[in-house]
Amino acid sequence: MSQRTEVSGQAETLTTIRTWRSAEARTAWLLSTPALIGLTAFIVVPFLLALVLSFTNQRLISPLPTRGIGLENYLSTLADGGFWQGLINNVWFVAIVVPLQTALALFLAVLVNSRIRGRVAFRTVYFVPVVTVMAAAAVTWTLLLNPNGLVNAFFGVITFGTFTPDWLGSTTWALPAVMAVSIWQGTGFQMIILLAALQDVPEELYEAAELDGAGSWKKFLNVTLPGIRNGLIFVVTVTTILAFRLFDQVWIMPQVPGGPLDATRTMMLHLVETGFGAQAIGRASAVAVIFFVLVLVLTLIQRRFIREEGGAA
Amino acid sequence: MTRVRWPIAAAGVAVALVLGACDAGGGSGAACDGEVDAEALTMFAHEGSEADAYRDAISGFNETRGAELGFEVELTMIPEGQYTDQVNAAAAAGDLPDVIDFDGPNMANLAWGGHLVSIESCISDELRGDVLPSLIEQGTYAGTLYSVGSFDSGLGLWAWRSALEEVDARIPAGPDDAWTAEELGQILRDLQGAGYEHPLDTKFWYGSQGEWFSYAFTPVLWSAGAGLIDRDDYQSADGALNSAEAVGSLTTFQSWVEDGLIDKDAADDSNFIEKRSPISWVGHWMYQPYLEAAGDDLVLLPLPDFGSGSKTGMGSWAWGITSATADADAAWAVIEYLMSDEVILAITEVNGAIPGTASAIGQSTNYAEGGDLELFVTQLEGAPDLAVPRPVTPAYPNMTQVFRSVIDDIVNGADVQATLDEAVEAIDADIESNEGYPAPEE
Repeated sequence: MSQRTEVSGQAETLTTIRTWRSAEARTAWLLSTPALIGLTAFIVVPFLLALVLSFTNQRLISPLPTRGIGLENYLSTLADGGFWQGLINNVWFVAIVVPLQTALALFLAVLVNSRIRGRVAFRTVYFVPVVTVMAAAAVTWTLLLNPNGLVNAFFGVITFGTFTPDWLGSTTWALPAVMAVSIWQGTGFQMIILLAALQDVPEELYEAAELDGAGSWKKFLNVTLPGIRNGLIFVVTVTTILAFRLFDQVWIMPQVPGGPLDATRTMMLHLVETGFGAQAIGRASAVAVIFFVLVLVLTLIQRRFIREEGGAA
Repeated sequence: MTRVRWPIAAAGVAVALVLGACDAGGGSGAACDGEVDAEALTMFAHEGSEADAYRDAISGFNETRGAELGFEVELTMIPEGQYTDQVNAAAAAGDLPDVIDFDGPNMANLAWGGHLVSIESCISDELRGDVLPSLIEQGTYAGTLYSVGSFDSGLGLWAWRSALEEVDARIPAGPDDAWTAEELGQILRDLQGAGYEHPLDTKFWYGSQGEWFSYAFTPVLWSAGAGLIDRDDYQSADGALNSAEAVGSLTTFQSWVEDGLIDKDAADDSNFIEKRSPISWVGHWMYQPYLEAAGDDLVLLPLPDFGSGSKTGMGSWAWGITSATADADAAWAVIEYLMSDEVILAITEVNGAIPGTASAIGQSTNYAEGGDLELFVTQLEGAPDLAVPRPVTPAYPNMTQVFRSVIDDIVNGADVQATLDEAVEAIDADIESNEGYPAPEE
């Protein structure tokens, strides 16, 4: 008898849990619906469309019937020098901007986290570029980077006139100039995220480390860095994805988008020029799919790498 | 399971919708039948320097001609930078208004897509005879007239007469005795010797805004006897864009950049205004600022002759009726009003462009016979031999993008022949992938 009561009791609990779970599930669905609708309408559907269109001859405006042309868009994209130049520039950009920008953001975050006078003012100053519209910032920087502009006036003085390149007109310096502007614009945002992470590191850990006789460098290495690991992971992942999407700067800053001599061409720029400029929607869709797969694979590799580290820790 | 299924279903529907909309692009092509029965009309126009004049013109129409005919026009202005993309997107989605304006060289693309109605049955012989020949050239695709514009543009060399006199340069009287390219090169070298470090201003800094490179520098090709495409059938750029003439003329142009004759790094108009670069390769729109700077010293000259005579650019925003309209006659009544002398003069007063009809030109101070800018009118009246329209073909949007990078590459020292061969490949590949852009059947 007692056994039976126990069993029925268990069943009751299960039912309660189930109802509770389904109620919870319903709330979860309800809460995520707006986001899911947005994601579906603006990410999932367009991407699936791009996937379908990438196998067709679709043009932006055309009286010709849309028909499947197999892998031709992919083949012509992969045979296109402009696409590869864009990919190479993208890879360079990511390889240099992601570590530099993350390091700089971390440096600034530590700086504005310390108890110095006017740190709120510093935080604001470092964050201002983030609130600036990229297009407006790019136009301003274009003027600053003019061969006779302010940037060269500065370099002219400190290098005694030996280093005054034609930044945006030079195949060597155009991409570095774009990188510098991007870092300038993006660092503040990363800084804020890392600052939040920094403030989550428990004060006791620092005290304990001090008792163990750790100096500030050791405290940074052994307390701060592990403490903000999640913040750093987020920053690196997001910066990588954003860096691949580089477009505004290379559209606005060089004399011709992606110029000179394709020195600042990116995959995004190639996509827009193919789809809207040349109106080849099919081929642009193929570029979009290749781009998506590439960024997805890189993000997955990054995550896997980081998760294994998390498991070990 | 449900989680996965519904987005895919939604996407499937959307795919069908989008593909359907794209296929439905071909319009009915209703022509003018002489009867106005619309009650309301919609219109898109680009928001450029003449925006207020457009707004005034349309409210003027609504109050007078529109009231007579019994309908009103609702005008939507769209910023110039995004205008062409917006119109193309609206066309692809089947959302075009009744009347639109577009930059001249984009007409063929819209017409080929079936988004424009021929205005042959609408335009009166009188108006047709009055419109500048250049605008008729620009508006005719596959033998049919699709558009007319209230104004056209002019391209030439502005110069400080005193600087030219300093180096004893000959001052050409008109397009017939334009400087040869060699002569201009020598004048530029002499000016450089006289202390003008970079004597020629070419406004490379306009570049990223779109049409400037094609508009300004295709005349170099034409003047050498080359071009963007073989205009017999518009099927290939081979032998036109990569011909010996094209390579020769663009190599000359490149040498001007390399020798510092062109002010490649200018970022504004101050080089000409402050007389650091006493010759400026630019259009009619710089007349006012240049006149203020140079006064009586300002002289307007034709572009140089690279071997086949001086050629120049032309073309500007033009009006068209879309196939989305239910009443081409009503739409045409609007365009006809926009082509009246009164409206043309009001618009060109603001944007400084060349009035689109001979009768309006006659009433303009600067463009009438003996006016400061008469050269521009001479050039346009000589179309298509003097002022040459950019190729009227649906392949143009791709072509201009290719040519834009050609100029950028050449200015930056790329090998001219190799650059042009590559450009020919890109243009031909686009034509091929669109089955040769077969002309619409009338």
